[in-house]
Amino acid sequence: MTNVNPVTFTIVVVLFLVVTFVGFAAARWRRAENMLHLNEWGLGGRGFGTFIGWFLLGGDLYTAYTFIAVPALVFASGSIGFFAVSYTILVFPIAFIFLPRLWSVSRVHNYVTPADFIRGRYGSRGLSLAAAFTGILALMPYIALQLVGIQAVLTVMGVAAGASNPYVQDIPLFVAFIVLAVFTYVSGLRAPAAISFIKDTLIYVFVLVAIFYIPSRLGGWEHIFGLVKTHMASTNPKTGKPFGTFIPTSKSTGSTQFDFVTLSIGSAMALFLYPHTITGALSTRRRDVIKRNMALLPAYSVLLGCIALFGYMAIADKTTAGEVKKADNAQLAVPYLFQHMFPSWFTGIAFAGIIIGALVPAAIMAIAAANLFTRNIFKDFFKPDASARLETRVSQWASLVVKFGALAFAIWLPHTFSINLQLLGGVWILQLFVMLVGGLFTRWFHRWALLIAWAAGMVFGTVAAYKVSSPTESHWANSSDIVFGHSVYIGFTALVINVVLSVVLTLVFKAVRAPEGADETLPHQYRADPSDTPAPVPAGAASD
Amino acid sequence: MSESTKHRNAAAAHPVTAAVIVLLLTATIFFTIWIPLYAVETPKIGSWPFFYFYLLAYMPVVAIVLWITMLLQRRLAGREADQ
Repeated sequence: MTNVNPVTFTIVVVLFLVVTFVGFAAARWRRAENMLHLNEWGLGGRGFGTFIGWFLLGGDLYTAYTFIAVPALVFASGSIGFFAVSYTILVFPIAFIFLPRLWSVSRVHNYVTPADFIRGRYGSRGLSLAAAFTGILALMPYIALQLVGIQAVLTVMGVAAGASNPYVQDIPLFVAFIVLAVFTYVSGLRAPAAISFIKDTLIYVFVLVAIFYIPSRLGGWEHIFGLVKTHMASTNPKTGKPFGTFIPTSKSTGSTQFDFVTLSIGSAMALFLYPHTITGALSTRRRDVIKRNMALLPAYSVLLGCIALFGYMAIADKTTAGEVKKADNAQLAVPYLFQHMFPSWFTGIAFAGIIIGALVPAAIMAIAAANLFTRNIFKDFFKPDASARLETRVSQWASLVVKFGALAFAIWLPHTFSINLQLLGGVWILQLFVMLVGGLFTRWFHRWALLIAWAAGMVFGTVAAYKVSSPTESHWANSSDIVFGHSVYIGFTALVINVVLSVVLTLVFKAVRAPEGADETLPHQYRADPSDTPAPVPAGAASD
Repeated sequence: MSESTKHRNAAAAHPVTAAVIVLLLTATIFFTIWIPLYAVETPKIGSWPFFYFYLLAYMPVVAIVLWITMLLQRRLAGREADQ
């Protein structure tokens, strides 16, 4: 802890204490009569309006890892990193089409998780188990990556460095995580909802200041873009190829346009399939709240566009670029950039913004994973008569288990492992597209066909990602591979396989008259907009 | 009359509004994924290459289009209630 700046450190600690207080106090916010209920603990009472919904969804969608990894990719490879900007545009029209339907049917039937809907729609516990399993599997490394984001900031602050004992080194991370785990246990979704106000404000402030201030210190945009263009065209000694592309290329050799578009479409389709974003969406009060937020949330994407550009600023600033190269970790680009460009008090605000920015999605992810476990594994397979009170208790404990699992991930496994798993997480979660989004519009697909197609997509995606190598890595080098001469996002290819198999096998199963599951939903329920608060007991739960 | 046929009638009775909604949503998606349209360096907007300018400037456009779509859908639903 030798190089710690006292001003930066104090500001980060003070803001963290504020967040801790808010996290615990949130348990009393919009308090319901019976808090021992999943609609309360797991969905914050299902009563958030447009305003809270905007902060919650924004804080939920844009994770700390985004703030670290997107500029890191831009720093390392150039324009391909801007797929993240393109996908956060694309996600809103796509979600605008299907999310209100999911909200309505979940409201009518009191579904808490996306897997609840799948069970109700296809009458298949197996299919809902597959969805729950995929969701939990994709969320664990995602939570771990929030910790990796926190670690990047702590490293640059000097807090995590210097100690030879890895356990001493990780003490600040332990503290942050235990606090997070306890307030999530106590307050449920109310805690991240309340904290998201602080997160979003801090991030808005530091991004807007940085986007105007840093370029003025670096000699203007013209200069930055010029330097980046030269840098991207120069040869990387490690690979013998150019560092990256300044504008996505269309040439037959080294085309990155196809890669850009498939990454963008795949990620946009995946974003609202993640259980934690669905948890955020289901916590809103009315159907129109979702639609309004799809139109209002692009304001948050503008921030992401600015954050991506920080990667270019880090290239243009010689000191930052040198330090990142020395540490051989592109993820430190943004923290180093801030440390060099800002006075220490403002660096403290920015760092606190990133750390708090990690806590909000980590809490929602743990809640979403816990709800999946409780509703679709524990209740469906072990204790069908679980009371609402027991469900909530199980979810609370499951959220702790999930979080400590993620902590173990972040500490004991190499970070590249978490990052690879998160890349895979996107590929895996996309395999829910046909059963979930398809199911919202048609009951044509056969449940067995969906299950086999899901398994095929999962296996193909995992194997294909494992086989990608690069001059520096033997496996898991990238989330894209070559299909018909084009570089294509693996999740996209796996989804195409999934869709084709779903269609073909459905025709086969229908031809042999395989038994269809019972559908408990009705067509008009997908457009329903009940204004009254939902019934106190989720569908199928025994009251106590 | 069931809820579902009522909804279909609303779209059928106001084909223009329904078509405009579909068109707007398709257009917002198309102008993002049709990358050859904007993966170019020139014309520069100020000191910004076109690619980077387009990505940032397109976000508010999507926001406005989605808001209009929502209003149109509400109008469609409102007319349905009148009938």
